Amino acid sequence: MVLPGFLVVLVFSYFPMYGIQIAFKKYSAVRGMWDSEWVGFKYFILFFQDPMAMRVLKNTILLGIYSLLWGFPAPIILALLFNELKFPKFKKAVQTISYLPHFISTIIIVGILRTFTERDGLFNKIAGWFGIDPIVFLSEPEWFRTIFISSNIWQGIGFGTILYLAALSSVDPTLHDVASIDGANRWQKVLNINWPHIKPTTIILLILSLSGILGTDFQKILMLYNPDTYEVADVIGTYLYREGIMGSRFEYTTAIGLFQSLVAFILLIGANMLSRKVSDTSIW
Amino acid sequence: MVGKESVGSKIFDLFNILLMLVLCVVMLYPFLHVIAVSLSSSEPILRGEITIFPKGFNVGGYKYILQDPFLYSGYAHSIIYALGSTLFMLTFTSLMAYPLTIQDFMAKKFLSIFLIITMFFSGGLIPSYLLARSLHLLDTYWIMIIPGCVSAFNVFLFRSFYQSIPSDLRESAVIDGANEVQILTKIYLSLSKPLLATFALFGIVGSWNGWFEALVYLQDENKYPLQLILRKYLFSISFDSGTGTEVMQAMMAQMNVNPKNIQMAIVVIAMFPIMVIYPFLQKYFVKGVMIGAVKG
Repeated sequence: MVLPGFLVVLVFSYFPMYGIQIAFKKYSAVRGMWDSEWVGFKYFILFFQDPMAMRVLKNTILLGIYSLLWGFPAPIILALLFNELKFPKFKKAVQTISYLPHFISTIIIVGILRTFTERDGLFNKIAGWFGIDPIVFLSEPEWFRTIFISSNIWQGIGFGTILYLAALSSVDPTLHDVASIDGANRWQKVLNINWPHIKPTTIILLILSLSGILGTDFQKILMLYNPDTYEVADVIGTYLYREGIMGSRFEYTTAIGLFQSLVAFILLIGANMLSRKVSDTSIW
Repeated sequence: MVGKESVGSKIFDLFNILLMLVLCVVMLYPFLHVIAVSLSSSEPILRGEITIFPKGFNVGGYKYILQDPFLYSGYAHSIIYALGSTLFMLTFTSLMAYPLTIQDFMAKKFLSIFLIITMFFSGGLIPSYLLARSLHLLDTYWIMIIPGCVSAFNVFLFRSFYQSIPSDLRESAVIDGANEVQILTKIYLSLSKPLLATFALFGIVGSWNGWFEALVYLQDENKYPLQLILRKYLFSISFDSGTGTEVMQAMMAQMNVNPKNIQMAIVVIAMFPIMVIYPFLQKYFVKGVMIGAVKG
């Protein structure tokens, strides 16, 4: 009964792990992976000596940190605001509308973004009201991160509230009543009642985001960037795609991929340990 | 509520409602704009006058796009990939999760570890690509359907769900002489319909919106899913004079369409199925996220 699933996992998850060995070999399709010649850490050294590599690493880390900094708190704040809405029907309607972008494909979203960021697009029209000269946003490196991260927030903020709202629904309403009798204002109630209820959820999601800090949505970048913005937009994922799939530098890119997954693994373990220490919450 | 609300509290409520209205506008505007542009005539588009209402009604963009055979082939392939991968996902995941709930199943421990490892390690893009190439799976339907169909995460979710089904049911079925396949289909699957529906929707939407696998594994444009056809229209084809082909220029002139008409029309066509089932979809997705959070 387990055989079909077992085989799929074996072939499509374990065989590629076996394929990682080419990161240490001079891969020859004719001789096969196993018989290819060992070259040790050659490709890792090559990567760290490549000036391009430093740029890619820096971009990946910076984009990850900025995304986390801006993107992580956004759904928490929105969930707390949703929770303060008093008309259930209005609340439901706003929630439903806010989930919408989550269901739309990256290609469509980037397509719309390109339209809006054109010289005579919506963003420049709005900028024009404030007397700002038109900017070709997607060709300007200094705008790339802003566009990328804010559109990510637009896509994910609504859907991201779901787990926090679930945690908030477990708040006992009498707690709020008691707090009101004691003279607490709304802000104090949010801070002392609602926030403690969503804290465990927050910590678990933070651990997961921390470990995913290198895993920026490179597929979206692939659609959004262009040679003008490579200097800030090129991340590990896009570099792997260009060099590996387009450029057929298989060993080199496998080595980079291995390096990336090792770092992600260490980050996950580290974040989990840290959280166990400070808050007794951990994902395992 | 206890006591009277303070003025500050009322001001906050008002502010909050206004903020939510702004949020709705921000979330909806892009989609309404896309629909409006797809239906407008050239001149107002060029002057950038379109907001959320079409100006000078014009369906030329749709007419143009509906002549492209790639649109139909993209649609058909997206449906094949979405249904195929979802069907395999549900079948294989159920088949794998069910034995893991049986106490005296020998390989239980081994299989769990076998799956957990894949949650932390993977071969990565390039080894997966080389594997697909050496198995001669590039440019086949299988590569779009099979590789992602069993994920450890899903198997464990299904297992937890099955564990919530009382084991008495299974035991009495065994006594009645039912075999394992019958128990799985008649008892477990029929009791987990909401779970199956939720994951079917997850699978279908994920596959419908996905494109990167297709970009990596498919070179043959005749097997492209809709998203890559969309990509071609939105990003690759240049409609500018000089670079666009003359046939296209002529067709566009004849139909009085703007490149934007065409691009936005195909966006609308690609979003259409998702939008139609959206009210239903979002409900199940919310449920699915909760299942994932509680059990995972």
